[in-house]
Amino acid sequence: MEETIKIEQALDNIKKLVDNIETVIRGKREQIQFVLTALLAKGHILMEDNPGTGKTVMAKTLAKSISGSANESGANFKRIQFTPDLLPMDLIGSHIFDDVKKEFVFKKGPLFCNVLLADEINRASPKVQSALLECMAEHQITMGETTYPLEKLFFTIATQNPVEMEGTYPLPAAQLDRFFIKIYFGYVDETTELNIYKDYLGIQNNQDHIQQVLSMNEILFLQQETEKVFIHEEIITAVRNIVRETRNHPDIVLGASVRSGITFLKCLKAFALVNGRTFVTEDDLRGITAAVLDHRLIYRNREAKQKALTIILGRELDRLSKLNLTINRTVFAPPAQDI
Amino acid sequence: MPIGKVYSYKKMLAQLLLLAVPTAILFFYLLWDANLFYNILENNWISQGIYFSSGLFVAICFYSYRFRFFTTAFFVFLFCYSVYKLFGSLSFGEFDSFYLSIQFLIFSFLFSLGWLAGFGFSRSRYFTIAWCVLLLVSKIVVVSKTTDITVNALINAFVPVLAYTFYIIYTAELIRNMNEEEPRFAWFVTKRLAGFGLVILLLFFMIFSVFKNDFQAVEKEWGGSQAQNDKKGKDKSENMNKKDSKGNVSNKDQTKLTGSLSKDKQLVFVAKLDNYFDDGITANPLYFTAFYYTKFDTLTQTFERDSLVPHNDLFLPDPSRIPLYFSKTDSSVIKNTHATKSRKVVSADIYKVVLAPDAFLAPSTSFSCQPMSVPKEFKDQYKSSYRAKMWVSDLNSAYFIYNPAGNQQLQSFQEFRFNRLREIKKIKGPDKQFMDYYTFMPKDEEYKKISELAKQITANAPTPIDKMIAIRDYFLSKNEFGQPLFKYSDNPGIPGIPSANKLTYFLLENRKGYCAYFAGATLFMLRSLGIPSRIAAGYLTVDRSSKNPGWYWFYADQAHAWTQVYFQDYGWMDFDTTVPDVNTQQSPQPDGTPPMNIPQTYMVADGEITNVNVAKKQISLKIKKLLYHDKDYESPTATELTVDVSIATISADTGAVAISSLTKGMHITAVSYSEALKNILADKNDDLNSILKKLPAPVPVDEVKLFLKDEVKDQKKQEEAKAKEPIDWIKVMTRMLLTLAGLIILVFLSPWLIWLFMNAKAKGNNSDKAFHCYRASLYYLNQLGYSRNGKGPQQYATEVDANFGTSFIGFNNAYQKAKYSRQTLTDVEIKLLNNSYDNFIKSVRSHIPFKTRLSRFLNIYNTIHYFSQPKIS
Repeated sequence: MEETIKIEQALDNIKKLVDNIETVIRGKREQIQFVLTALLAKGHILMEDNPGTGKTVMAKTLAKSISGSANESGANFKRIQFTPDLLPMDLIGSHIFDDVKKEFVFKKGPLFCNVLLADEINRASPKVQSALLECMAEHQITMGETTYPLEKLFFTIATQNPVEMEGTYPLPAAQLDRFFIKIYFGYVDETTELNIYKDYLGIQNNQDHIQQVLSMNEILFLQQETEKVFIHEEIITAVRNIVRETRNHPDIVLGASVRSGITFLKCLKAFALVNGRTFVTEDDLRGITAAVLDHRLIYRNREAKQKALTIILGRELDRLSKLNLTINRTVFAPPAQDI
Repeated sequence: MPIGKVYSYKKMLAQLLLLAVPTAILFFYLLWDANLFYNILENNWISQGIYFSSGLFVAICFYSYRFRFFTTAFFVFLFCYSVYKLFGSLSFGEFDSFYLSIQFLIFSFLFSLGWLAGFGFSRSRYFTIAWCVLLLVSKIVVVSKTTDITVNALINAFVPVLAYTFYIIYTAELIRNMNEEEPRFAWFVTKRLAGFGLVILLLFFMIFSVFKNDFQAVEKEWGGSQAQNDKKGKDKSENMNKKDSKGNVSNKDQTKLTGSLSKDKQLVFVAKLDNYFDDGITANPLYFTAFYYTKFDTLTQTFERDSLVPHNDLFLPDPSRIPLYFSKTDSSVIKNTHATKSRKVVSADIYKVVLAPDAFLAPSTSFSCQPMSVPKEFKDQYKSSYRAKMWVSDLNSAYFIYNPAGNQQLQSFQEFRFNRLREIKKIKGPDKQFMDYYTFMPKDEEYKKISELAKQITANAPTPIDKMIAIRDYFLSKNEFGQPLFKYSDNPGIPGIPSANKLTYFLLENRKGYCAYFAGATLFMLRSLGIPSRIAAGYLTVDRSSKNPGWYWFYADQAHAWTQVYFQDYGWMDFDTTVPDVNTQQSPQPDGTPPMNIPQTYMVADGEITNVNVAKKQISLKIKKLLYHDKDYESPTATELTVDVSIATISADTGAVAISSLTKGMHITAVSYSEALKNILADKNDDLNSILKKLPAPVPVDEVKLFLKDEVKDQKKQEEAKAKEPIDWIKVMTRMLLTLAGLIILVFLSPWLIWLFMNAKAKGNNSDKAFHCYRASLYYLNQLGYSRNGKGPQQYATEVDANFGTSFIGFNNAYQKAKYSRQTLTDVEIKLLNNSYDNFIKSVRSHIPFKTRLSRFLNIYNTIHYFSQPKIS
């Protein structure tokens, strides 16, 4: 009973968190939800769009609202700006000679934190990129003979400029796969943009004084709870169908892998939780599919990129919407007389 | 040329089995059918079919494996062309190489056709449709070129192609859309095809059973007795007579131009015609007319009767329905002939041998019919007889083309009558309608040719009769070799092209034919010259014996058609232009003795039987009509008369009957030749009753003629009429339209019917009520144009709420919870699920005006959209 209350509180807090971030990042509720989904699914997120759409601010705000400014219970936030001359050592850390102890001491790099903002990841050399991605996957760092585990809560928010930009090293498909979710930021709509211009001082103020809403423990607890979210067999079937369809679709060259499918399920559960539910519905399926799968697929052409996945998803939604799963789920009140 | 996806062997196999094999079978059939009409140098349909199918099969196998069309087709055609050229340069005999190259040409044409079809089947999606349209159109073109439009021919021509069309379009699409990786591939295909076949079969049988009677009517109407010949695919011959089941003969009311005429040599009737030339001794034979064919159906090239003739002068009684010795007269016929000059009344006695009892034949223009009894000693030979009276022109005669040579009398008559007719420089009809009707000609290139020929022939003829003679002389003229230009033939054959105009073919090329060809050609030549004319059908009268002048014998092969021309004041005149057929002028057997000694009738009583005394052989009659000493008596009240039938012959139309078979209420005519009545004369003042009182009782009678009861006869007639009733296309069309309308309405209403079902389900109390409510709501919204269409349920619910001011989202959330979670629902949620449906529908309804709602709701596309799964790729 105590746990349930805790869950409801936590779910409440998620909502608060989203609201909190929204005071800074206006009109990006969906993107905020995706970020939290990746967080709760114990994954990492990649944000891509043109410069100046609010990627970095978003990451920073999120980090701050779960870490506070310098709180003990808060999460530890680090930020690395990726540049072409960055070296893996700059991320991982290096052995430094301790004059006192007369020995090499491992000086931990910025990776040893709770929330990592890897800004403009595609500007770094592939060497650095793979070092980061390796850590993200393994959750540990091996230097020489010693293996250093990363923090229990390790969440990477990577941002990148579109691949077409100059001076970038695009991430290969295999590495993109490491990110649970990839989202596009996009520009806000016109009314929101007007509001932003009118109130840019307020936003600045909000950004500076962001409050911690979720504690570390709560996040770890929610991560555990994510695993317990109920997912109906038919939804799992739908996930299977969608993943398989991506392999059969004539316009998709490279379909989704089995690992993608598992990631998909994890994200579904997390997304349900972010939306304040402890079960997965069609809405979650519709909400998350593109974010989870799109960057794992290689399309035959640009047109297919826009259409293929939508059509596959639409078909599954259509199937699900016509399923009769409510047998004996409703207990009848006798014909309502009390209205 | 894009290279299509490579098919799996399964798909190829399916194409070979399900597309190529039926196509090959159809082509075997089509080629077989075509070979019935066209014969190409010993090339038979089997080898032609094999050529086509080999091309088809090879192409399908070939193109299923990524071969480019242009290169492969280029090589195939190059190969064909070079082989074809090779034949030309071969050194053996010229005919052999010609023969070979023709054969090869057929091979390469059919093979290429098959090749193209195979390519189309395996690569192009729309090919099947184009292919079927091509087949149908070519079939329609071929059929429209034939004149042989019988039901069987139509069914043979169209049903296979139509069935193939449905099948191939469906199957090609099925194969294209099937999932190659379906584990139970064969089952999938079989299932679909079986279902499809069942539906088509059902449809076919339904249509056939609904229109069965109509089909049969068409069969009877068009096919007639020739249907069997048609089936055998042998020559299609035409018979001028028709025979009923009892072997009775009568003239047909239409005559078709066909390839051959079948005739037999049976004696049909004997007639005594009371028409002589001025000297009173030399018999002047007249043709015996049954019908006038005033209409010509250009499509089927058939001469027909027309009931809408202006100034109808056809007298058509049924002799079997007129009481013995009582005559039926229609004087309006005389008026309608518009003939006033040189006319006289002539009578003819017709003795029927195999002529149908209800048939009436007489020289034109007959206006009266009086059935007579046949003398006793001839009873076996002649079934019945009647006397006809005609309004006959002095100038009319059977002699025109048929002219016994060297007959002085005849020559002077011809001179006389031609001179009289020459006085008419231009023919004027009684009115414009008459002229228009009888000078009508189809407007067509072919008929223009006839018209040109007619102008050429009659260039030097000033008057209508001269033109007529010129046409006759043209038919009798000889060619440069001294041979007759036109020959009589019962088997003229048909032109090579099925659609060709048979009359122009006859007139300009073949120059062989039977009477209908000559009459038809003459008719259109005359009409093109503005001379009103028509075709008469009946019997050719030949004066064969000088033994009994005025007596004529008519055999079945004398059934004839000839032209009649209208001259003002003189009326219709017979002109036969059919060149002599030697056979018909000699009788097949010596003519018998004519029935000459007709007894004098003193009394004829017509009435209903009231009592039959078999022992005394007496019959009591109630009579209203009496013929006494050639005078008619009639009375409105029936009078009783008893007659003695001990020496009488009792007969009906069908033959002799026994006295015991007479019963009360039967309609009979009693005839007496008794000498006892000879001297009992009637006074001027006598009426029917007073005469009967003078007669001895019972009156001895010699003959009793029994009439079939009216009802029985009427019934028979009705049955006949039913059987013969021409197919009522309007009825057929109405039925088809009704069926179609029903189907359309059903389709039209199907969205509503589905809604009724879903609504009922949603309102019911099932354990899955929530699902039914959700489905019904979704369907309802979908029909109104707010389809979910790939949206998430929550997003959709939000949109719906925004549009209609409903609280769908609450229901939706509860429903999603019920659907996808295992948590127990709260009471509020259960209430929502159970009770919000009605209000939701109401609220949606109130937001859309009725008109929009109706039009959107009944839109079938919305329904299809709802039920169809979105297609991937």
